[in-house]
Amino acid sequence: MENLYVLRKIGKICGKLLGNMDMKNVKNVKSINYYQIDYNVNKIFEREGAVIFSSPEAYKKLRWTRDYFKQEPKEGYFIWVKKSIDCPLTTCITISSPKVIQKPENLVVIEKNVEVKIQSICNASKKNLEGKHTGCSKIILRENSVLKMKHFHSWGKRDWVESSLEFFLGKGAKLSHTYKCLEIPMKLKIENDTYLKENSSSNLIITILAKDGEVDMHDSTFLNGRESNGISRLRMIGDKRSKIVARSQMVANDAGTGHVDCMGLLLSKNSSIQAIPELINRNKDALLTHEASVGKISEETLNYLRSRGLTEDEAIDLIVTGFLGEEEPIIIKGRIVPSKLYM
Amino acid sequence: MTKRANTMLKIKNLSIRVGDKDILRKINLEIKKAEIHALLGPNASGKSTLVYTMMGFPGYQIIEGEINFKGKNIGSISIEERAKLGIALAFQHPPIIKGIKLSKLLEKISKQVINIKEFPIKSDLLSREINVGFSGGERKLSEIMQIISLSPSLVIFDELDSGLDVEMLEKLAIIIKDKLLNNDVSILLITHRGVASSIFLSQILLML
Repeated sequence: MENLYVLRKIGKICGKLLGNMDMKNVKNVKSINYYQIDYNVNKIFEREGAVIFSSPEAYKKLRWTRDYFKQEPKEGYFIWVKKSIDCPLTTCITISSPKVIQKPENLVVIEKNVEVKIQSICNASKKNLEGKHTGCSKIILRENSVLKMKHFHSWGKRDWVESSLEFFLGKGAKLSHTYKCLEIPMKLKIENDTYLKENSSSNLIITILAKDGEVDMHDSTFLNGRESNGISRLRMIGDKRSKIVARSQMVANDAGTGHVDCMGLLLSKNSSIQAIPELINRNKDALLTHEASVGKISEETLNYLRSRGLTEDEAIDLIVTGFLGEEEPIIIKGRIVPSKLYM
Repeated sequence: MTKRANTMLKIKNLSIRVGDKDILRKINLEIKKAEIHALLGPNASGKSTLVYTMMGFPGYQIIEGEINFKGKNIGSISIEERAKLGIALAFQHPPIIKGIKLSKLLEKISKQVINIKEFPIKSDLLSREINVGFSGGERKLSEIMQIISLSPSLVIFDELDSGLDVEMLEKLAIIIKDKLLNNDVSILLITHRGVASSIFLSQILLML
């Protein structure tokens, strides 16, 4: 009964959240394709064109998946997309009980010439659960496939989270990956690796609002084929009592182009952001560029917005909202609120 | 109408210090309702200092005198309060604000709805981030759209003519006459060349 209650409650939250993320087809729990609460799979809802199992089930039923799992998985989802799907596939992995230690291992395989959107949520349903989430995902894009992925995290202040994502792009594949975490846990560790073959392209945007916690991020893109193109953008906001260390690396092993962009905004005296963009070029025909800035909101911009009648708080709010990406709602205490109310 | 009600801005014996430097001494200026004045002077003559002090920007210290707007001494009130009272500044070099579309800013600040079709802008300007990649003319148009949306009583144009060709300046002048002067808005033109002031046939105050 309790699980059913949690399921409904979280379903409502996720549905609203995703609905506001421009995905009008997701309105409630019924639209979520894989639903895990604590250690238990509560729901798997397949859609035409996609095979969806829990990872342990996939490991047993589909021997070929064993090449991708490091070991036999205990939790997590497997999504195999064989045909293009208009409607986004949605996954949700939630911690809802105290002291849960989740270790989902996820595998997504997108077949040749297939286009799909995936939205993925990992969160804690309450703020005081002291949970641990160690998520490990491998995402395979076969030749000329297209994936648009939105990844959203929201945690309690006493949680501990490690997230590792690996993207493997085949020839001509296209990836757009947006990650947002506006409620960080006590400690958040993120590791992303993207491997690109000939003519493939990736566009990663990672946005983090850190308050009362530490974030350690490591993002690497490997240009392993001619005409491959990688873009990695980090957007970081350091609010009260926070520390962010972000390394973003672009490695050219073949004649591709890559760009790294690290932007940090410090809102509080007792916060810090360390941005480390790194370019490694091993091919004379490759071109890698980067830009980085970490600082406070400029007085010139504040004065400008205040001269339009906005108070200092309203001006900061507008700048921060713009920095985080406009019109994205966030979950605070189980409710969906505009980010401006949170700041 | 009484004389006081007619006076929009009155600056009396104003002396301004920035850091430990006295920049302006005993400035006097009076602008009445629907009047146009031009402040003409070479670079570094203190024009911008006067403007930023009028707007209440931090770092510009009034050491003597008063700035009265609509009969109220505004020397100690915040930038946004001055804006709400009806003073608007069209910046010469407005800052780039990434992540915020011009339409979003207009939505936030507008006191009155503006008809975009009345402005000679490309259709995508509103959906672009504020001043990111804007041409000189687009920046001025963005400033003027924002100013008009604020329904101001006094508008300060800081170097309106800089970076504009005569054709664009004339287009802007038509908009300013139609939307501001025809609505009894007072205007203060800050310029070092005088092109803009000649278009509006304004009264000229020299700062030398």
